[in-house]
Amino acid sequence: MTDTPEHKETFESFRKSFFYGTRSDMSFKFLAHLSDDQVTSFFQGLLAKLVDAYDSGDTAPVYEHLRQGQILSYAQEARAVYDTGPFTPMNASLSHARLMLLTSSGHFVKGDDPNPLGIENMTQVQAEQQIKSFLKESPALSAIPVDTPTDRLVVRHGGYDVRGARRDPDVNLPLQRLRELSVDGVFAGLCDPAYSFVGACSQVRLLKKDGPDWVQRFKAKKADAALLVPV
Amino acid sequence: MEDAGIPTVVVAVAAFEQPLKKMALSRVLLTPYLMGRPVGPVGDARTQRRVLRSALGLLASADRPTMRHYRNA
Repeated sequence: MTDTPEHKETFESFRKSFFYGTRSDMSFKFLAHLSDDQVTSFFQGLLAKLVDAYDSGDTAPVYEHLRQGQILSYAQEARAVYDTGPFTPMNASLSHARLMLLTSSGHFVKGDDPNPLGIENMTQVQAEQQIKSFLKESPALSAIPVDTPTDRLVVRHGGYDVRGARRDPDVNLPLQRLRELSVDGVFAGLCDPAYSFVGACSQVRLLKKDGPDWVQRFKAKKADAALLVPV
Repeated sequence: MEDAGIPTVVVAVAAFEQPLKKMALSRVLLTPYLMGRPVGPVGDARTQRRVLRSALGLLASADRPTMRHYRNA
């Protein structure tokens, strides 16, 4: 933002710029949802902890401070409120159970790009720029064969910082870890394929149309249970 | 999915604790990691396995809606 007398940036516009603005940053977009005072305290604490970390060699408090900021920003969020929800008990023992994996991570297999919004080879930057369009659209469900090598996985999602998932897909699409646990006999096996979609989508369409359609597909896979990983 | 007879367990970062509480989900394991990395830190296979074992344990043991925090061992 140009800092001229006519366009002097306010603190409010500064913190909001991290939320799909001039300083868009998916790890810090939460700053937009805090008050000026809360953001002031956050930065003050962050700076103090940086110097403490330099002296002590312990960086964990820096990351914990960031995590506490994320917790604070989501504490008041309530997009879906229910008094009670359905509960289905596990009938199969875990060691005999076939497990399905569904994550809202935005992964797909290389060569199987769902081309959201009709855009081919959409980049991560474009996904973030198009977030409002994503929120109006039905989500595309990507099928991911459970034996897909890690280097064949692609992630793109306009709603969160995908850098961790690019470095290690198992942070939110834990296929490799689940394969290992299956070999160890913790559960009987993975339903093939696993599924991923971009959770930043029309929540009404997801709830009323796409979700129920997907559940019918999942039932046909005869999964004994499902592991759900929202991001 | 629960309505359709498929038991579920959710693994999510603890930042989502309050919104998830309001959703009345059946089984939720909350983890102490940065957003986007609910199963565990990048490259930390040991922690990721422990988180998943804990989630699957919750899946097998819960007899009522349960939300639990994963604690680092």
